[in-house]
Amino acid sequence: MIRLAESVADNTLKPICNATTDAGTMKPLSRLSIPSWNPAVPFRFVSIIAFCCLLLDATPQAISNDKLSTEDLAFFETKIRPVLAEHCYSCHSSDADELGGKLKLDSLDAIRQGGQSGPLFDDDHSPSSLLLKAIRYEDLQMPPDEPLSETIVKDFTDWVQRGAPYPGNDHPKPTTVIKPTPQSNHWAFRSPQRPGSPNLHASPWPSGNIDGFVLAQLQKRGRSPSPVADSRSLIRRLSIDLIGLPPNYQDVLRFEQQHKQNPDHAMEQLVDRLLASPYFGQRWGRHWLDVARYAESNGNDGLGRNSTFPHAWRYRDYVIDAFNRDLPYDEFLIEQIAGDLLPAESDADRDRKLVATGFLALTAKPANAMNKNFAMDIVADQIDVVTRGVMGLSVACARCHDHKFDPISIDEYYALAGIFTSTQTMWGTGAHEKLTAPPTDLHVLKAAAKVPPPEGFAETVLVRESNTGKPKPVPKSKWPLGTPLAMGVRDKAATADCKIHVKGDVGKLGAVVPRGFPAVLQFATSSDVSIDEKQSGRLQLAHWLTRRDHPLTSRVMANRVWHHLFGQGLVQTNDEFGQTGQTPTHPALLDYLATRFVERGWSIKQLVREIVLSRTYQQSCQTSMTEPDPSLLSFHRRRRLDAESLRDAMLTASGDLDLTQADGSIIRHRDILMNLAGNLHQPSHRRSVFLCYLRQSPPPELSAFNLPDFSTSVAKRETQTLPDQALYLYNNPFVIQQSQSFAKSVLSQTTDSTARIKLIWQRSYQRNPTSDELAGAQSFLQTSQSELETSELVWQSLCQAVLISNEFRYID
Amino acid sequence: MRFSRRQLLQSTSCGFGSLALQALCRQQVLANQPALISDTASAAPPATKSQASQGSHPSATAKRVIFLCMSGGPAQLDTFDYKPQTGNKPHPGSVVNFAQHGESGMWVSDLLPETAKHVDKLCMLHGMHADTGIHAQSFLQLHTGERLRVRPSLGSWISYGLGSENENLPGFISLNTSKTSVYSSAFLPSIHNGTPIGVNGEDMSAATLANIASDHLPLAAKRQQLDFVQQLNRGHRTQRPIDDNLESVIQSMELGFRMQTSAPGLLDLSDETQATLDRYRVGQQAKSVGTCKDSDFGRQCLLARRFAEAGVRFIELNHGSWDQHKNHRRDLAANCAATDAPIAALLDDLQQRGLLEETLVIWGGEFGRPGLTPENKKNETGHNPAGFTFWFAGGGMKSGYVHGKTNTTGNKAVEGRVHFRDLHATILHAMGLPANELSYWYQGRDHRLTGPQGGKVAHELFA
Repeated sequence: MIRLAESVADNTLKPICNATTDAGTMKPLSRLSIPSWNPAVPFRFVSIIAFCCLLLDATPQAISNDKLSTEDLAFFETKIRPVLAEHCYSCHSSDADELGGKLKLDSLDAIRQGGQSGPLFDDDHSPSSLLLKAIRYEDLQMPPDEPLSETIVKDFTDWVQRGAPYPGNDHPKPTTVIKPTPQSNHWAFRSPQRPGSPNLHASPWPSGNIDGFVLAQLQKRGRSPSPVADSRSLIRRLSIDLIGLPPNYQDVLRFEQQHKQNPDHAMEQLVDRLLASPYFGQRWGRHWLDVARYAESNGNDGLGRNSTFPHAWRYRDYVIDAFNRDLPYDEFLIEQIAGDLLPAESDADRDRKLVATGFLALTAKPANAMNKNFAMDIVADQIDVVTRGVMGLSVACARCHDHKFDPISIDEYYALAGIFTSTQTMWGTGAHEKLTAPPTDLHVLKAAAKVPPPEGFAETVLVRESNTGKPKPVPKSKWPLGTPLAMGVRDKAATADCKIHVKGDVGKLGAVVPRGFPAVLQFATSSDVSIDEKQSGRLQLAHWLTRRDHPLTSRVMANRVWHHLFGQGLVQTNDEFGQTGQTPTHPALLDYLATRFVERGWSIKQLVREIVLSRTYQQSCQTSMTEPDPSLLSFHRRRRLDAESLRDAMLTASGDLDLTQADGSIIRHRDILMNLAGNLHQPSHRRSVFLCYLRQSPPPELSAFNLPDFSTSVAKRETQTLPDQALYLYNNPFVIQQSQSFAKSVLSQTTDSTARIKLIWQRSYQRNPTSDELAGAQSFLQTSQSELETSELVWQSLCQAVLISNEFRYID
Repeated sequence: MRFSRRQLLQSTSCGFGSLALQALCRQQVLANQPALISDTASAAPPATKSQASQGSHPSATAKRVIFLCMSGGPAQLDTFDYKPQTGNKPHPGSVVNFAQHGESGMWVSDLLPETAKHVDKLCMLHGMHADTGIHAQSFLQLHTGERLRVRPSLGSWISYGLGSENENLPGFISLNTSKTSVYSSAFLPSIHNGTPIGVNGEDMSAATLANIASDHLPLAAKRQQLDFVQQLNRGHRTQRPIDDNLESVIQSMELGFRMQTSAPGLLDLSDETQATLDRYRVGQQAKSVGTCKDSDFGRQCLLARRFAEAGVRFIELNHGSWDQHKNHRRDLAANCAATDAPIAALLDDLQQRGLLEETLVIWGGEFGRPGLTPENKKNETGHNPAGFTFWFAGGGMKSGYVHGKTNTTGNKAVEGRVHFRDLHATILHAMGLPANELSYWYQGRDHRLTGPQGGKVAHELFA
């Protein structure tokens, strides 16, 4: 783009069309083309950008130096140039660090050309010329810091009326060489290639390709891998990683036996059992729900209003089911982005695909009231969840300006935006509160059961006028009670390309950009995708994302899987694979995993299986390194149970865990502003994934352990240790109740204190206490008696101590 | 000088130790700006040019901040920025009565009679301006410098830069908070996250730190229990050498335990005299009037004083909403009445205790409002980010001083213009932190509160 502009300035490229000066009515040059990588063309997004530039070069005839009089020249040099230099050139010249609005004011050609917002001058050089409107602060408000004085504005008005005389290129301001477009040979922008076998010194250690790549790096650094972890650690690690639940003591004993006899066979059996478990989807589905910023309420709209999403849980169940069925990841993505556009085999299949599109409708919306950017705020979230969540690429910056680091232009942002502005997003009634979000339709499901509210159900929250606070009648639903509904998206009746929003503002529209995808990604094979004019382009977007040679999609997911199994990805910036992200610690391994993932039909379970059966995964957490660097993969990283697993593990130990799947959600009949409702959460013994994830009101049993707020796609959970976590462990009613249940259950099983202590250890740590621990526990029971009235309380205190100890909360 | 988390943990004895050490090393800190502590969990920053910046070493004029956040956009023309009618033609301006007060003769609206008694402590900024009239965005920009993304809040930056003064309490507390993004530490280590007490709309008298207390065990039994937990933890740790996380958990369990005894006392106002409670109007706010919600602002102000005394670095109070569109006169009066006496009591107490000098008190909201034209019957205002008012008190700022002004209709700042990023720069400067150099390496670049453009410190404001 910049090079091209320069060419224009050098007059080496003649304008090929003198189109209308109205930048808002560009005619699309081509529907959509994905340029394949061609090293001879060092700039990107060629067709669209070139076209923009040429259009903006509207060549108003009056700006010319042909007949520049001495008087005009003097006027310019004394009244105009100094102002440009002082107030404008820092952003609008060849020397600008960051060119504002693609506008340069330091040469005749550049001034002729105008910028992103269009030509600077009307054909008749009237006072309504863009330049004058901008300095009068009517439209663009330039310069941004402070308006120019009245006198200067008058000088500029005179100057424009004179025809904006500007000295030509024969006396230009000295220009420096413009920096080339950020290089696009960034590793992550090229399709992954299956790497060759690593060069290894002979070693018996590797059991497969993964180990080979890891060992090659270790050998380069003169290090060796750690020994395999003990079998109790292995089964604990695998159970938590694969199904999010600790094993029970009997399982551990059995596995220890089998592992002793035939370690590889024992591991395979265990892994296959866990992968086939229905709890696998509950664990891995939860990981995806983080990416999808899944929540059951909108979150504060900026005005304190937070409407529930009573149907969001269907998307949660869809995701869990998809992971359990091992739905190929490409299909999984296509369904979530364009499920409504896919053929369906049955009503149930159609329902499922409609529910999948909830992915695009879970946006945390700012209030609609007084927010003219409301629609584009939703589009911004959709672009973000697709680009950052699926592609590991932030494009959000380009909403307002060309991306500073990655070669993503504002044009490309609005090329994507057109896909979503052509899409109707259906979040539902928004609690009948139009100021927070205008009500929308919802998908009506055909095969799903009708579940009306239980008899006698009455909404406890008064619907109020938002400004006066007066109660108003509950609006009648447009659907019969109990109609199965789902959030989601569908194509708008009228689809259209989107205009550039200068600085992200709907009030400052620029040129129309044909819908398309970022051109920086270089595919191994080229192909043109065309978007039917009558469609939004979501289906094409989904197909483009899931191309086998897409440089990012497979890598990003393989990396996420690795992250969940090792506590950190091969690329540590999970959602940032662009030039500001970190480079992979093991590039060949990442590409191996990515290509293998695709080859094996995008199967998540196969990918997980291969990784956990590697020697790399099975290493012990012990290391001899003094400054241990987990990214070397020479040992396994010890990890803390996340919020969900900690709660589930406590329920498992106490014996209270209810493993049945939730039937909907506690808010499925409550279409309300939850900020008026007080606490909506109810005690539950079901797995954490089935708790109600309300934005700004997280489940109280989970909130202490770095639970994200789910307002945007979550890259990874924080693992920071905070003092409020200690407070949670001491005082949270859930923890106290679990230690009570735990104690009660242990006391009912045996009267012998040693046997009780053993039971507590077995159910918490899946091992027997050491003799020191046994003595320590006995002595704790003794001393506690002095402070506590009942023996139940003493045992409860012991159970709590074990549940909150590090061994319980960390997995080796 | 750069410390790794590991070094910090090894050399200190509590969860806030990193901050304590950071504070101890402050001389080095300032001489070796910025991003002092590299958290191994975040992207380790390469040594960049910004590390070597030769910033000035401003000496701090304030040790802590109390931010009286007036959410919704207070109407500057009917509170502090007096715009009487000029000329023959009626124009937008002040529609309530004003009078001059104090030795400084500063104009204050009759709606704020108690604050008016303190004008000689105030440093008035009439030239504030912001980028947008959208509440959520401007509110976020006021707190984080960014309109559209979650970035570390001002309080988090200050906690990051200076650490906590009290190892038993968090460095950043946010009272009656709204959304988490305004007190988030974002990419800064999460120990700098604001600790919320009371969520907007919640009854503030019941608000407390989550899980701060339980009565299932007496305190002595809890201590015995923790001793046993730590015995288990140390045993566990001994078999797993070289794991800093395990060590820091052991330490933060102790801090959490101490907070159980230090924090509830601070939140419990029963040791305050009735006279004090009355001065602050604790629990005496009238029920919500229009947009003015009952925020028990008196309790917030009194808690703020107590937290300030206890050494909390950054305390934010929230009252809203000043977004009175339709019932401008009635709702504005209610908002003023709800906050006026509590703020006056806070200023009084801080001064009496010698705390005002070292505490920077800040009053303001996300933007202002355009004025009404007096003869017009209209009673509705909108949003105006182009000119509005903030004030400072204490913290080394000039007192009885007016900086900047708006035009005759009061809707545009024309002199002494201070953008939010300049406000941030000025606050950091007052805290002794180099405004445009305090930064943190994240996702491939240094981030700072004042954004890519940087902020200008308003040096004229300092006494």
